[in-house]
Amino acid sequence: MNNHQKGAKASYIALIVFILIWISGASALHRFTKETFAEFQAPALQIVSKGSDLARYWELKSRSNEELISASRDLARINAALELRIHSMDDIRRENSRLRENARYTSNSEFFTVVARVISRDSSSWWQKIIIRKGRNDGIRPGSPVIFSDRVIGRVSAVHLNVSEVDLVTSPTFRCTAFLIGDEKRRIVYVRGDAANSLSPSKAKVTAIPIDYNPPTGQPIKVLTTGLGGVFPSGLILGEVDGGIRLSTDDNYKVADLNPAKDLNMIEEVSVLVPQYPTANEILLAPSEKIKLEEFK
Amino acid sequence: MSIPWAWFFLILATYPWLFVSDLVSSTLASSGLNYFITGAALIAPCRRLKRWQAVLFAGCVGFMFEAYRPIPPGTVAISLVTLAILLGNYRSYLRTTLATVQAAVVVNACVAIIWFSATAYQSQSPTDIYNLIYQASIQATLSGLMGLAVIIPLSTTQNWIMDLIGVPSAQDLL
Repeated sequence: MNNHQKGAKASYIALIVFILIWISGASALHRFTKETFAEFQAPALQIVSKGSDLARYWELKSRSNEELISASRDLARINAALELRIHSMDDIRRENSRLRENARYTSNSEFFTVVARVISRDSSSWWQKIIIRKGRNDGIRPGSPVIFSDRVIGRVSAVHLNVSEVDLVTSPTFRCTAFLIGDEKRRIVYVRGDAANSLSPSKAKVTAIPIDYNPPTGQPIKVLTTGLGGVFPSGLILGEVDGGIRLSTDDNYKVADLNPAKDLNMIEEVSVLVPQYPTANEILLAPSEKIKLEEFK
Repeated sequence: MSIPWAWFFLILATYPWLFVSDLVSSTLASSGLNYFITGAALIAPCRRLKRWQAVLFAGCVGFMFEAYRPIPPGTVAISLVTLAILLGNYRSYLRTTLATVQAAVVVNACVAIIWFSATAYQSQSPTDIYNLIYQASIQATLSGLMGLAVIIPLSTTQNWIMDLIGVPSAQDLL
């Protein structure tokens, strides 16, 4: 047997040993490499993202004064309109707090908002996620809802020191309860991401639509979050039903495709709603000494 | 510089390629496809490195790929290690540029199919087998084309690093 054959034999033995080691410690090794590599790669991702922001800044800086004056005039008008709306909301908020106090009902579904830039999109038919430029250092926690304005973008799936991964609404790992506009009885339906076909836009699915639900005619059917489960605040737009509502394969309920409320492939900035108090999930999973129960009594 | 560490320096030289291909994949987000070049990155190292070094290189590249993707742990890493061993055993066939290009196309497409199928399995998305084959074949075709497009510049970079750290040339090993 020459050296080449001996080497070949040794390499196959090495492969078997490698597979055996991997089988015995796969998940621990995977967790370790995942976390280490995410932290290793984060600075490079941040540099690329900040470089792209800088390029955008210089592009905007090259615009004429007339353009900027016109844009600032438009913004001032929008600001004025929004201020009016905020004032009207203040009255509603005060009334809401008064009623809550009277009813002795305290809700812990309060969030603080972290605005984050999108660094990269990682999509295939089988998962859709984005990476954002804020992480554990900014207070983001796994499971936090991610929105843009009043539209749902997804949910934080993994948090690293300075970056986080967000599963989009269209990702097969995404699950949420919802209401359909036009349903007087406000019955709960179920929204989940759906594996897309290559070269076609990704969508989610609305299932468990009651058989007797009649969609409103002449207007798009919006799908809104219920607020149940404490992950998403209620009333956020998940998207619109795309195409018709059809019977499920077992004829027990109806199903429909859902177009996300925002073009998820073009989004540049998102808001992460971080719960101010530990969620039920966090309380269940965290070691008891880490959670101060007094905080959310 | 120490030759036993050649695999590590080669990883550092290959990483920017993998990183850029991931970033550029953002442009394909709407189509659900990815620029996959991890398989093509194996060819030049397997021609010149010792077998154990090539195995280490392939394993590390595989783990890097898996680190930020929802994939059953070890699928890509073990596939790459197996391919590295096979390529190392048949390195005499990789003498010409044409053979190198062919190997890059085949290896990249094969690993892409393994990665894509493993991810489909992990996602547990209900789909029929014909749909899975259709989608895997689109991704494999793109990956084969990517292998064709990047093998020359990628292997040139890797060869330059290997020359710099004193790894014997492919001809010397035969």
